[in-house]
Amino acid sequence: MSGEKIRLNTEWLCDCGGCHVALVDLHEKILNVLEAVEILKCPVLTDEKGYPEADIGILTGSVRTEHDRHAAVEMRKKCRTIIAFGTCAVYGGLHGAGLAHSREEIMDHVYRHSPSTRTDFIPGNSITSLEKMVTPIDEVIDVDLYLPGCPPHPHFIFEGLTALIENRAPKASQESICAGCRRTMVKTETSAIKEITDGVPDNATCFLSQGYICQGSVTLDRCLAPCPNHGMPCSGCAGPTMQILTEPTRDIRTEIGDRMARLTKIPYATVKEHLEKSAKTHYAYAMATKMIGNKPTFLIRKWIAEGEVR
Amino acid sequence: MSTTIKIDPVTRIEGHARILLDCDENGKIEEAFFCVNELRGFERILVGMQAHTLPQVTARICGVCPTAHHLVAAKALDNACGVTIPEAATLLREYMYMGHVIHSHALSLFVLAGPDLVFGLQGDPIKQNIVGMVEAEPELTKKGLRLRSLGQKINETIGGRGIHPVTAVAGGISFSLSDGQFQRLRELTAEAVILAKELSGRLKSLLMRLFDDNPRLLANLNVPSWYVGTVATDGKLNLYDGRIRAMDESGVIKTEFVADQYIHFLAERAVSHSYAKEVYVDFEGHEHMYRVGTLARLNVVDGLTTPLAQAEFEQFRANFGRPCHNAVIQMYAKLIELLYACERAAQLINDPGLRGENRVPVQFKGGRGVAHIEAPRGTLIHDYEIDEKGIVRAANMIIATQQNTAAINKSLKEGANALLQGAEDEKMLNALEFVVRCYDPCLACSTHAIGRMALAVEVRRDGRIIRELRRN
Repeated sequence: MSGEKIRLNTEWLCDCGGCHVALVDLHEKILNVLEAVEILKCPVLTDEKGYPEADIGILTGSVRTEHDRHAAVEMRKKCRTIIAFGTCAVYGGLHGAGLAHSREEIMDHVYRHSPSTRTDFIPGNSITSLEKMVTPIDEVIDVDLYLPGCPPHPHFIFEGLTALIENRAPKASQESICAGCRRTMVKTETSAIKEITDGVPDNATCFLSQGYICQGSVTLDRCLAPCPNHGMPCSGCAGPTMQILTEPTRDIRTEIGDRMARLTKIPYATVKEHLEKSAKTHYAYAMATKMIGNKPTFLIRKWIAEGEVR
Repeated sequence: MSTTIKIDPVTRIEGHARILLDCDENGKIEEAFFCVNELRGFERILVGMQAHTLPQVTARICGVCPTAHHLVAAKALDNACGVTIPEAATLLREYMYMGHVIHSHALSLFVLAGPDLVFGLQGDPIKQNIVGMVEAEPELTKKGLRLRSLGQKINETIGGRGIHPVTAVAGGISFSLSDGQFQRLRELTAEAVILAKELSGRLKSLLMRLFDDNPRLLANLNVPSWYVGTVATDGKLNLYDGRIRAMDESGVIKTEFVADQYIHFLAERAVSHSYAKEVYVDFEGHEHMYRVGTLARLNVVDGLTTPLAQAEFEQFRANFGRPCHNAVIQMYAKLIELLYACERAAQLINDPGLRGENRVPVQFKGGRGVAHIEAPRGTLIHDYEIDEKGIVRAANMIIATQQNTAAINKSLKEGANALLQGAEDEKMLNALEFVVRCYDPCLACSTHAIGRMALAVEVRRDGRIIRELRRN
């Protein structure tokens, strides 16, 4: 490595701030990174308001307001390599569910139908208005590297930054959560889908074998599989695997349906229908991306609307 | 004709928040608004989701205090299902939470406010960040970072992850600690207590120096208000659970209530200039401005249950009275809570009940689930209506930061009126920034060091800019 430090900009768009805290969660390794990297702009660490020229630009969050759009464009102009960092940047994230509701519906709910709110109007005067949709950043600017995860595990952050510092391609496996899960897949006689509140799941057996919906098989591992190894089914927060993203006829619901039908006595169609009915839960993190939204059989708005009928 | 002054943006979250000042023709500030420019609409997004996913989904409301949302959602689900979770689950959740509070308070004190403390409010902007701090105060900074890491590792071991934890479920905790994890946690926690004790003296002296060096700014931050925070049955501090206590500006405890009665005691009001609603305490037909957070908590509690924190608390109360109205003192209050969180974590990990059965099965029966927790920045309430199929039908939340908005606005108005007339641009910018930062409104401003923000202020009359203040 040369003596010149790598120049880094980070910027957050519409997000929770967790991706920036994830950078701090490099713990002691953050000092290693700082030896090779000069942070020019970072909303939690420096005061730089503008967008200086930099080698690496980390963008977290999705585009929700005009400001977000402007910031993304400015970062692209000034940074040689742009990393879409975190699930919101890559796929739109949880608030991507905003696409299922109009802005007016969201505003009405928050300001006019909240039980504890005594006023009856919607703020408007002097606030930046929301864009109609929540947009992943690669629909606004070109992105060089994608690091999904909610947030990405520091293991992948460190590898990504180290690779860029050493001018090599990052080592990033395309494995699903299943690769890091210690549970055993077995064929069972289970005949009905269970909710996580139905009993207490066995801790050694695959959730799908037991009839619980787990998204591990359709989710890219950018987290080191903490959920299934702590008694929780995967909720898909790092977004789908490449297989799901790239094959037009495959999808989260068809893949889980296939797998569950093979492991249990639950028919494929039952699983698929269940996942459509609970689409808001199971497509929560990635519904705003066109890679999912453009699939010919993807009807998330219809599924969500139907799910809300009592 | 009135004049509008915009300070845009006030924080490093450019475009997310700013200050707006409305003046009359004599230049007197009539109203001040801290404007939050962001809305994700979670209350609407949650409707139609499967309720069991709430602890994970609501964590994503805030990456700075995800564990507070995670745990309060799990508590609301317990209530909706009508279950009492096993003792071990309560202990594990509170222990996870103490890890989070250690992380959050240490991050705030050492990383975010640290540069102000070490270099003063008029320090060299180039050095005034964590890298400069490592050079100037290597011991304090590295140990402070280590303490934050210990908290986050505790949170991560119990929660499965540090940011956006996953293990708190309706009915308890989803996994059991291995012997190896348990042993490691005892070591990490013991180290945290030692570090907190070691660092608190130096940190306190830096805090006192900051207070002494800035008497004028401090005087403008003495805003009387009501206070709200959580107390256990003995009246002492509890961050995980208890009754919500409200105190008036003279220090009289006016009422205590449990979370599911919040609708009778707290009133939200939308304001035209911000996406964040203001909240007032409704007591005997009158609405009162109030504050939450570390300072509010230490005002309302009768004491703390751990020795080091209690000793420091006694000095705090002796020096600043009850209630202490000065917003800047929240940094000192945070230090006391940091000591408490470390000591409380040690009590919890050494509690013999911690490793018992930690989960009971649950069923959604249809109905409401309401719960609260003391988030690092104040009282946080989640309120859900869940049908018998386990689907969320309604959601409402009272978020810590929004409850301080009315007080921030009042402080801004007074601060600006005291400084606006003839003040140098730089002084006015500093003062207004400092006001906002003292209230520690989540990342938006807690990430800022006074005197370093790039600000643009526009003074307008009849739609034309008549004065422009700028700092880059």
